[in-house]
Amino acid sequence: MRERITFVQKEGDSIEPTALKVDGNGLKGPEVKAVREDRLTFALDELPAELKALLEGVNQLHIRWVSPVAYEAVSPLLARLPPGFHLFYTPGGDTSINPCPLLNKAFGTDSCSSPSESFTTLPTDRFTHSTTHQFYQPLPSLKAFTTFAKSLLCPPGSPSSCSSRLTSLNSASQLDLSYDTISHTLRLTSLWPYAPQSLSASLLSPSIRTEIGIISTASPKTLEPHEIGISGLLTVLGQSTAPSPTLFSFPSRHRDSSSSFHAHFLPPTGLHPVLQLTISSPNPPSKSPTKDTCRLHGYFTLPKSIFPDRHQLNDPLFLASKNLSSVRYITPGIDLEAPEYVTTPWGSSLLLELSPPSTTTTTGKAWTAEIPLHLRYLSPSLTGYRTAEVPYPALFWACTAEEGTKFPSNPFEKDKVGYDGLFGERTVFWHLNPTPADGKLVNTVKVPVLDLEKAGWVGAVTGGVVVLGFAWVVVKLLGVVLSSGKRVEEGKKKQ
Amino acid sequence: MTKPSPTGQPRPPATPPSQGAPSLVTTFFDRPLPLYLSAAIFRLVFLLYGLWQDANSPVKYTDIDYLVFTDAARFVSQGQSPYERETYRYTPVLAWLLLPTAHVTGNRILDVAFFSSGKVLFAIADLVAGWLLEKVLAKSMDGPRARKFATIWLLNPMVATISTRGSSEGLLGVLVMALLWAVLERRVTLAGLLLGFSVHFKIYPFIYAPAIIWWMDNEKMSPNKTKPTKSPQPTSPTTKILNFLTPARLQLTIISLATFSALNIAMYLIYAHPFLQETYLHHITRLDHRHNFSPYNTQLYLSSSLPHPSTAFRIEKLAFLPQLLLSTILIPLATAKKSLPASMLAQTFAFVTFNKVCTSQYFLWYMVLLPLYLPQSSFLRHKRFGLAALVLWVAAQGAWLQQGFELEFLGNSTFLPGLWLASLGFFGVNCWILGVIIGDVGRQ
Repeated sequence: MRERITFVQKEGDSIEPTALKVDGNGLKGPEVKAVREDRLTFALDELPAELKALLEGVNQLHIRWVSPVAYEAVSPLLARLPPGFHLFYTPGGDTSINPCPLLNKAFGTDSCSSPSESFTTLPTDRFTHSTTHQFYQPLPSLKAFTTFAKSLLCPPGSPSSCSSRLTSLNSASQLDLSYDTISHTLRLTSLWPYAPQSLSASLLSPSIRTEIGIISTASPKTLEPHEIGISGLLTVLGQSTAPSPTLFSFPSRHRDSSSSFHAHFLPPTGLHPVLQLTISSPNPPSKSPTKDTCRLHGYFTLPKSIFPDRHQLNDPLFLASKNLSSVRYITPGIDLEAPEYVTTPWGSSLLLELSPPSTTTTTGKAWTAEIPLHLRYLSPSLTGYRTAEVPYPALFWACTAEEGTKFPSNPFEKDKVGYDGLFGERTVFWHLNPTPADGKLVNTVKVPVLDLEKAGWVGAVTGGVVVLGFAWVVVKLLGVVLSSGKRVEEGKKKQ
Repeated sequence: MTKPSPTGQPRPPATPPSQGAPSLVTTFFDRPLPLYLSAAIFRLVFLLYGLWQDANSPVKYTDIDYLVFTDAARFVSQGQSPYERETYRYTPVLAWLLLPTAHVTGNRILDVAFFSSGKVLFAIADLVAGWLLEKVLAKSMDGPRARKFATIWLLNPMVATISTRGSSEGLLGVLVMALLWAVLERRVTLAGLLLGFSVHFKIYPFIYAPAIIWWMDNEKMSPNKTKPTKSPQPTSPTTKILNFLTPARLQLTIISLATFSALNIAMYLIYAHPFLQETYLHHITRLDHRHNFSPYNTQLYLSSSLPHPSTAFRIEKLAFLPQLLLSTILIPLATAKKSLPASMLAQTFAFVTFNKVCTSQYFLWYMVLLPLYLPQSSFLRHKRFGLAALVLWVAAQGAWLQQGFELEFLGNSTFLPGLWLASLGFFGVNCWILGVIIGDVGRQ
């Protein structure tokens, strides 16, 4: 087991080494504004039996949880996903293994029943680095997970720091759990938003190697355009008594485009809501060395209550009228008719290429794009309405780095974010910052449903009306039969 | 100056005796050409307008179903199954018929023409249905009057729109009309082939089988049309049954069943289970209850969402009972021998009205038969009554559409009571109209 704790300040912010107190048990420093990232790495043998048994049977398992509360990201920790609980999964040899029960227990998810029912398949023919299956569910908080983790990691009698560190997960903005058969390790990474906090970290246990870094991005003169520079202080608890300064750089896939966007549904939403994205600028990221290759994309994960119709999104004229250019990926096999309550797959993901207005005429002006969506019928309620929650998409400019550019894995890399598997190896994602007016990265739609309060008489009255209508027609038919009988007799009399 | 009608029947009183030059309307119906030419031009204009709208507006003229058919045809042209296209729920024959739409030449104008060839086919089917309609009508009236009634179909904007938007319902129109014509012409083999094929194509024409068989008694089928000398009334049930089993009835039954089975076996051999699932089984298991005109709609939504199926009594489980009783047994028995076209109209009307799913496309199923009944209808004899019925039918639909609009586009929860009551109201109006139609048959 290893631990790494990183405080990331913004470019230009730094801290004097003398302000930090380091001893064998921890580090103490002043309060600064920073992002905090904690990463714990477990070997398989260090895991509880139930989890170990599950992981031994899978090939890849990546959980990405993102808070619905808008947060500010700081370079290099820029990768974004729609808020909620994401699972990217590749089964091992035994495909009957079902990770759902353990996931539901650990995270409080409820729509995961089995891979064959709840998961959707991802294309693996395009790029080999993606997983084969995807699952998603809106999940506003990690409360269930912290409770689960406490019961597992902090047995009675363990120090209060164990429980309090896990409790702090409730204010995290991201949580990643990654396992693959190649590394045979489980990595748990949590990220807290950019906020004032005291630079303090303590050793969990003497047997755990704990590395602490206080860093910020830097721009040394030797920096290549596709690289990010990092400067700061590093220390390994128990090994050194003073942090040592460091400066290094690496190519990064996730960058900041310095544009922003927000999303909302156009009223009235009806059963075919249109999600409007308002984007602050039509210009590709100015810092990208390969601006001409940049295309603006939106990556959506849509719970099953709402879905895109890929046939509707096929027509170039229609797409152009919404400032969209093409569908790059859509979950195949989405049922276009079934109600939500009989649909078993979690929903669908959608990767759209957007079409910004030409930059010569509207330089720097905000513009909009519209995503037409469709609601399924939801189950009846006592008010006649239900709400569907639709997470914000991740918006980014995907630019192709110059030929020959390599992206070796870097210490802050975040992969398996859904859309990265749909692009080539040389793609750089320049993210747009979501800025919702209410601070929530989720839009809600009011969905009209059957009002159960008024439904008491539906069966009886429907049946009654049908019987009446039927009886009326039968009476008329009887009239026909009787009158023709009469006519036959009249005919006989005449003869 | 009017030509004597070919059948030698007196001219209907509706046509005023010509004084001086014949009126434009009279000349229009005198010969077939003007009517069919204008019906064709009418559709051509719709078709070209549709192409223009599709090319210039994000709101498409072309029906979404046409994209389903043509996608399926493309799969077929690539040697794949048409059922690769989701929501393709039709016989593969339709995709085969539309194979030219998948043809790509590289020339833009030619490609658009090829892609639209399916709509042309549907529009031609409309015209042929109208022509057969005229031929059936002409059995009981002169040519111009028959053409006048055929106009209700041929120059009907709703019919022309539906076929040029690329909906295949027009093909059903021509099949059903050809079936009726073949039966009235006593062409039993042809009728059997058409019946078997129609049922394979869209299931619902099976309701015509009992009516046609009931109608085909010896009296109707005797070639010399003179009344046969009254044979003594059969006494024992066995003789009754033996008398019922006429050669014509047996021939129709065997040929139609053989056609239907042969087509299905062939399709199953080619496309296996997806063919059965999408074309037939889907209709049994479907849970697609997005709001539609059916009176059962609200109840279906309600019961499909309840957690424990089969615990409570479900009215919709019995929905097929009134529907099939009326459309396959009671209406044919009471009316088919009096007027086969009117019986078929009433059966179709009952089938659509009592169906678990009902959309406006289904109205086309009975609209093609309507001109055959109208000449003898009380709706036309008492103009005010007819107008009132039409207004009522449209208003009931309008009320439903208004509630549907509020739900679909404004997001108001109008399921209860608005949409539900509107669908029950529309159902009531339809039942009343059905009763009037049946009453009219009784008067004949």
